[in-house]
Amino acid sequence: MPTRFAHFWIKIAGAALLAMLACPLIILIGVSLNPGVEQLFPPSGLSLRWYFNLANRDGFVAATRLTLLLALWSALASVVIATLAGIAIVRYRFPGRDLVLTLLLSPLIVPQVVVGMAFLITLSAMGIFSSVLTLAILHVVITLPFATRVVVAALSGASIRLEEAARSLGATPAKAFLLVTLPLVRSGVIAAAVFAFVVSFENFTASQFLVWDRTTLPVELYTYVQTENDPTAAAISSLIVLSAIAFVVAFNGFISRHMFGSGSRK
Amino acid sequence: MTPITRQIPRHPNVWPMTLLLPAAIVIGFFFYTLSVMVHFSVRPNIGPGQVGDGLTLENYTNFLGSTFYLGYLGRSLWISAYCTAITAVLGYVIAYAMHRSSPRVRLIAGAILIVQFFTAYVIRTYAVMLVIGKNGILSKALLAIGAIEQPLTLLFSEVGVAIGMVLVSLPFMVFPIFNSLQAIPVNLETAATSLGASRMRTFWEVIFPLTMPGVAAGVVIVYLFELTSYIVPGVLGGGYFDMMANLIYAKAMQSFDYPAAAAAAMVMLVIAAGAIYLLQKAFRLLTPHM
Repeated sequence: MPTRFAHFWIKIAGAALLAMLACPLIILIGVSLNPGVEQLFPPSGLSLRWYFNLANRDGFVAATRLTLLLALWSALASVVIATLAGIAIVRYRFPGRDLVLTLLLSPLIVPQVVVGMAFLITLSAMGIFSSVLTLAILHVVITLPFATRVVVAALSGASIRLEEAARSLGATPAKAFLLVTLPLVRSGVIAAAVFAFVVSFENFTASQFLVWDRTTLPVELYTYVQTENDPTAAAISSLIVLSAIAFVVAFNGFISRHMFGSGSRK
Repeated sequence: MTPITRQIPRHPNVWPMTLLLPAAIVIGFFFYTLSVMVHFSVRPNIGPGQVGDGLTLENYTNFLGSTFYLGYLGRSLWISAYCTAITAVLGYVIAYAMHRSSPRVRLIAGAILIVQFFTAYVIRTYAVMLVIGKNGILSKALLAIGAIEQPLTLLFSEVGVAIGMVLVSLPFMVFPIFNSLQAIPVNLETAATSLGASRMRTFWEVIFPLTMPGVAAGVVIVYLFELTSYIVPGVLGGGYFDMMANLIYAKAMQSFDYPAAAAAAMVMLVIAAGAIYLLQKAFRLLTPHM
């Protein structure tokens, strides 16, 4: 049958393309295991030397800590803010509701380099020096639209009827929301938090405008890759890739259902 | 699904305003920073990190009147255009293959794509550098089989940047196309074939048009991402293939010429918004029935 044949070749091509995407990350892990200073693949031997070297590199340790801190706080802040805004947008009718949603999502189309540049200029005009706080504010601005989009979609999908039933049985509006609707949209809220965390964690282009004495991990890595030539960067990158793989393997069902809108059909 | 709304009888506008307040502060500050940038872009530059009084369009005329600066813009628009086209074709192949595979294979394919999403761009770009570099595996493999005689010089060239752009942005293309494929009712395909259409014709006249919204979404996301990319040209271009974002950063952080950087950033913002508008309009013309 000709179509079976065509599908066979498309599947081969698809598998080859996916392998092409996976390959660089596997090579990265291979390079990190080199015993020597050269970034060879296949590695000339097996050694964890560059992983132990990470502990001696204060830059990477401090940058990792700051990046995780920023990602956690901005994910938490943007999900709380997005949920409050989402309730207003989905549950209430007021003039300009669509416009409000458009405005909340508008930073998504602004290039990261423009966001970073605008922050830098504003802080300099206000006479404020870059600090962890200004970085945190920048990250909330960047992650909020992602969180808003996911939370609004989840809230739109949750029926108001159950909340109304709870209210007719005597629950206060806050209680009805917290005990009835919130559990219904919990997966959406968690998905929004994961999105926000990832977006903050990997942000480089805007953040680089606001780092001075302390850097975030992507900025530290970028600088390292530009200036140094040993497998240290491969070692820390491999740790992140392995964490990502572990996370995806552990939560694949949840991630594909609630974060990428696939895997649930058929 | 349309949002379910209700009218709260008393104080109809107090609650939503209160709930929206935190978000309004964040987004308000964001728009404030943009307005400060617009303001800086029309001020004269009087030294590193300083701006003078008075209004001027000099920063814009300097940018738009210089072939050197316009070169960055043209280069960015051009490389993103053909890379987006390549990404769309490759992304469609992956999405279609996933669509036709068993749920188990689909889950593994999805996992590979999601791991990409969870791994920072800097890391993925660095990984591509290890592959296409002078001592990278691609160069060594081709040397070993005798396909080339000199080590590859893909790194620090347009081809290297293009390879990186396609690889880094491919996952963004696959998800919207895959979701639009999955949303097509199986009956439609059965109906087309039972009415005598060949499988090829069914694909081009039934399946493909129905996936256009997914393709459109992917193309808009990827074009915007590639047009404004900083990391890929920075790492894989190594200064030999700088794009708009690299120029803006250099103007601001190396020359400390804030007005020039602000003007370049404004040009980029307008171009990016214009590109999104035109792409969406083009896709709407292509699919009038949607």
